[in-house]
Amino acid sequence: MIYFALLILVIISYLFYFVGKKRALNLKFNGNIKLSSQPDYFGYYVVLMALIPALLMWFGLLLFKGNFQEMFVMSPILFPDISTWSDGKLGLILNKLNNLSVIVNLPLDDLTNGEKSILNMASENELTAAKKLANFDKIYGWSNLTLFIIFPIILGFLATRSISGKLNAQPIVEKIITYIIKGSSYIAILITIGIFLSLVFEAINFFRYVNPVDFFFSTGWNPNRAFVVDASEGFDKDDLENAFGFIPLLTGTLLIATVAMIVAIPLGLMSAIYLAEYASKRVRDIAKPIIEILAGIPTVVYGFFAALSLAPFIKDVGESVGLPVSAESALAAGLAMGVMIIPFVSSLSDDVIKAVPQSLRDGSYALGATRSETIKKVILPAALAGIMGSFLLAVSRAIGETMIVVMAASLRANLTFNPLEPATTITTQIVTSLIGDVEFDNPKTLVAFALGLTLFLMTLLLNILAITIVKKYREKYE
Amino acid sequence: MNSLNKRLSAEKRFQAYGLFAVALSMFFVLILMWKIFSTGSGAFVRTTIEANVFFNPDFIQVNQNSLEKELYRASYVALADEVVRQNHPKLNEEQFIKVREMYTRKFDYQLRDYLLDNPDKIGQSIIMKITASSDLDQIVKGNYPRDVPEAQRKINDYQLSVLDKLTSEGKVSSVFNFWFFTKGDSRDPESAGIWGAVMGSLYALIICFSFAFPIGLLASVYLEEFVKPGKVTDIIEVNINNLAAVPSIVFGLLGLGMLIGVIGLPYQVPLVGGLVLGFMTLPTIIIASRASLRSVPPSIREGALAVGATKMQTVFHHVIPLSLPGTLTGTIIGMAQALGETAPLLMIGMVAFVMEIPGGPLDPATGLPSQIYLWSESAERGFLEKTSAGIMLLLLFLIIMNTAAVVIRRRLEVKW
Amino acid sequence: MVEQVNSFAIKTKNVSVHYGNKMAIDDVTINFTKNDVTSLIGPSGCGKSTFLRCLNRMNDVIESCKVQGEFLLNGVTDIYGDSIQVETLREKIGMVFQKPNPFPKSIFENVAYGPKIHGLASTQSELNDIVMESLNRAGLYEEVKDRMDDIATGLSGGQQQRLCIARAIAIRPEIILMDEPCSALDPIATARIEELINELKEKYTIIIVTHSMSQASRISQRTAFFHLGKLIEHGDTSKIFTKPDKEQTNDYITGRFG
Repeated sequence: MIYFALLILVIISYLFYFVGKKRALNLKFNGNIKLSSQPDYFGYYVVLMALIPALLMWFGLLLFKGNFQEMFVMSPILFPDISTWSDGKLGLILNKLNNLSVIVNLPLDDLTNGEKSILNMASENELTAAKKLANFDKIYGWSNLTLFIIFPIILGFLATRSISGKLNAQPIVEKIITYIIKGSSYIAILITIGIFLSLVFEAINFFRYVNPVDFFFSTGWNPNRAFVVDASEGFDKDDLENAFGFIPLLTGTLLIATVAMIVAIPLGLMSAIYLAEYASKRVRDIAKPIIEILAGIPTVVYGFFAALSLAPFIKDVGESVGLPVSAESALAAGLAMGVMIIPFVSSLSDDVIKAVPQSLRDGSYALGATRSETIKKVILPAALAGIMGSFLLAVSRAIGETMIVVMAASLRANLTFNPLEPATTITTQIVTSLIGDVEFDNPKTLVAFALGLTLFLMTLLLNILAITIVKKYREKYE
Repeated sequence: MNSLNKRLSAEKRFQAYGLFAVALSMFFVLILMWKIFSTGSGAFVRTTIEANVFFNPDFIQVNQNSLEKELYRASYVALADEVVRQNHPKLNEEQFIKVREMYTRKFDYQLRDYLLDNPDKIGQSIIMKITASSDLDQIVKGNYPRDVPEAQRKINDYQLSVLDKLTSEGKVSSVFNFWFFTKGDSRDPESAGIWGAVMGSLYALIICFSFAFPIGLLASVYLEEFVKPGKVTDIIEVNINNLAAVPSIVFGLLGLGMLIGVIGLPYQVPLVGGLVLGFMTLPTIIIASRASLRSVPPSIREGALAVGATKMQTVFHHVIPLSLPGTLTGTIIGMAQALGETAPLLMIGMVAFVMEIPGGPLDPATGLPSQIYLWSESAERGFLEKTSAGIMLLLLFLIIMNTAAVVIRRRLEVKW
Repeated sequence: MVEQVNSFAIKTKNVSVHYGNKMAIDDVTINFTKNDVTSLIGPSGCGKSTFLRCLNRMNDVIESCKVQGEFLLNGVTDIYGDSIQVETLREKIGMVFQKPNPFPKSIFENVAYGPKIHGLASTQSELNDIVMESLNRAGLYEEVKDRMDDIATGLSGGQQQRLCIARAIAIRPEIILMDEPCSALDPIATARIEELINELKEKYTIIIVTHSMSQASRISQRTAFFHLGKLIEHGDTSKIFTKPDKEQTNDYITGRFG
């Protein structure tokens, strides 16, 4: 229905554009009135006048639908103890009523057995509330439709009537459109602020349970300790002391990222050098897109591959030479991540290498240096800053990568630097703590936001550093 | 001379390293593809067992005159059991349970769906290809070894003997697995389909596009055409570049904390998933769109201004239409990335077990990549090939989108 | 006296233009007579194009450009006045650029665009008439009448430039500014445009910037010589090219510098 209404809205605004323009042209040609704006603008004027209030109100209704619903349905007459309910319970009941409201007005014959039993289990008050809710939904639907069709038509009509020689539509229209496009460009900033606020807000909640010093410096990670306690009864400080220690997650993340970089940097950099300096055009045209494919493969695929093939393979190889290898070794996850990052490193390095001016190369060749000598002694040193920048970007990418480690790394924290042992990462723990019941009053859930905040700041720092380095480098050769 | 030889062999070594790096990277692509195709191809066929089905009205309590509604709601479980008993006569109760296990648990649905299409068959006998259970399917496909001790097998010796008998009678066959493309998720691998996840991803992408495309386009228009370069643009520019490098899981946390936690949008729905993916795609679109706007030559703007077009008309009538192919290319590439993103979907709950195919962006759903993740975490062997097949489908969509992007760039982009 | 005022299409007084701190035009005063072709000549970088773009405020787009002085359209309307809408002004003063810049749309759309946005036609057939008449006047109609829906960028350079002229006259301007309109064209196309300019002066006042002195002498009635941002000399073309008052002008037209 909403799609239908949107479609009608589009049609209405299209029509209003012509109505407004037509009226302006009529005034000009038949009424001999000099217009103060181009006729186009009268069309836009009518459309904007008709649409904007309707869209704003629709958005408001949508935003407050839940509140209206509650006001309408959740009266203390039907639910006397409503004031004592927690938000969670309120949500559950509302959900139940929503399900009920769909079936409560249907004839009994049309119901499945499951639906019948839902009806039978509901109390009398709940049924009354569900009926009210069904009514509300009906009214809501109709008011939406009114808003979408009748309201814009009236406003558009009024706006059309207001067109005269005196009305200067252009500045009004331009002002509104400027606001809209200006607003659009601020949305990127809003998103960043939104990320920051939502992370900080919930992280602060987390730090109400857990001392930040404990979090950042303790080495024990056992979030399940917080699980055994009922949240409403509060937490035993001792239980939480060694439950949320960030250190093993950090070491695990760095361990896996290091393995990944050990794979990705030489392979990525050497591929970039080979393709840029040695390969014939034909080889380049074939090899480059194939390597780029690695970048296009979703990370869930790498994770699947790492868990299914790579980890058992590494375990078998390790055991055949007498090394004890875990089935969830950091090595497997790191290798898969390294492969994923190869094209990232190679395309960034490629840009950097190409930015080195030809004159430097020519100078080196003129001295009789071979290609590899030129690359090693001239190009790479010249491109060093840029390449370091791209490595930093790759590291930031590795730290933030989620699916590969969720699927192939361990869930258990392990303070180790041995890649053959299992290790867990920040992102893995964020996912683990949020899968299943999400309760915002439990440190086991909230820790995800504290971890997220740390991760966000870490990657942000790396990115800013990398972008600054690369920018400086670019300026050097421009 | 000696030192020159040394230098030349160093040169050769260096070149060989480079070639090795390129070859190894390409080898990784091949091995990934090979692994996925070899494990996934099985999912496109399913094993069936031919059986004689008598639609006995007594077992389903319907008759020739029953309405479609009644046919739909009747229970076919007893009929399914009866079909098994009739096709395998003289079974004791223990044997019956074992034989029944060889057929899919969704046997009754298959009967129902058939009858809904052919209501005139009530009271008649037909030959039907009944889907086998996943464990049997895996044995037939050779994914489970037969020559291991019985205790390690999901299919015991008795079931194997029945299978062999059925095979020798020519009753076991493989058919194309339409279910995989038409059904939602299921606890039983043989009846699990990807369509629910595809629709979930589709709704999420529609939301993602409706959010990110107009806003990304307008934002880049503002930055390129309307505002003087200065502090504000610098801040927005740095912001966009950083946003492009924020880990996807952090966007997921934004969705959970802000959209679900503060604004109160529902959990598990494509609306939230799409918005989060839209946030992620926005920087990509803005960057592509700005580059595209910049490539429209100033002479076009001058031409429009000179005939008395306003700045706004110049931009909306001429500059934007000319930059659109570039913007669209960037958008499609961004959306292809979004389609493959899994972590944000995990954060906002689009990883639950959802059987129903979502009918809109407000229905609980999984996405294509999160469905792949769900299946990959599943212990049953039958889901392994589903996982790989899901990946194949996902890759297919990505290939289509990227090809579309290339085609748009080649065909529509105006060269100056 | 009254007639004298009205015989000028544009009057300018003490015009100075700065790009940032750099001076591009230094205290230029010049009046353009109606229905004449006036050529602005001078060595590259002398400010003739800058001056031309001041006349229809195309310099407004350039951030650092500051224009001072008096500009009067038809002797009364202040071109840079607060009450003037720049779009309406450009409706009266059309412009053709150095490189042909048709919109990558159909030939019809290129010419129709101006009349459309200014609302010059009340019906589609009126619009068709305007387009046809403009193309006709630009001497292009016969060549393109069978392919009005073809994309304009497919035309030859000379045709494109005539299309741009048609686009400019479609909004019924009084004055047409031309910024080296033939510099990107071959001699045949150039001859065609010159012919056209000669026809157009019956209806329009034309101000043309050209780097070719022979072109200036062929097509214009009045010529203004610019050098280093200053107006050196302005007068009848025949006089400027035969016995100029200033030595600098003489040096330039005889090829001693520039």
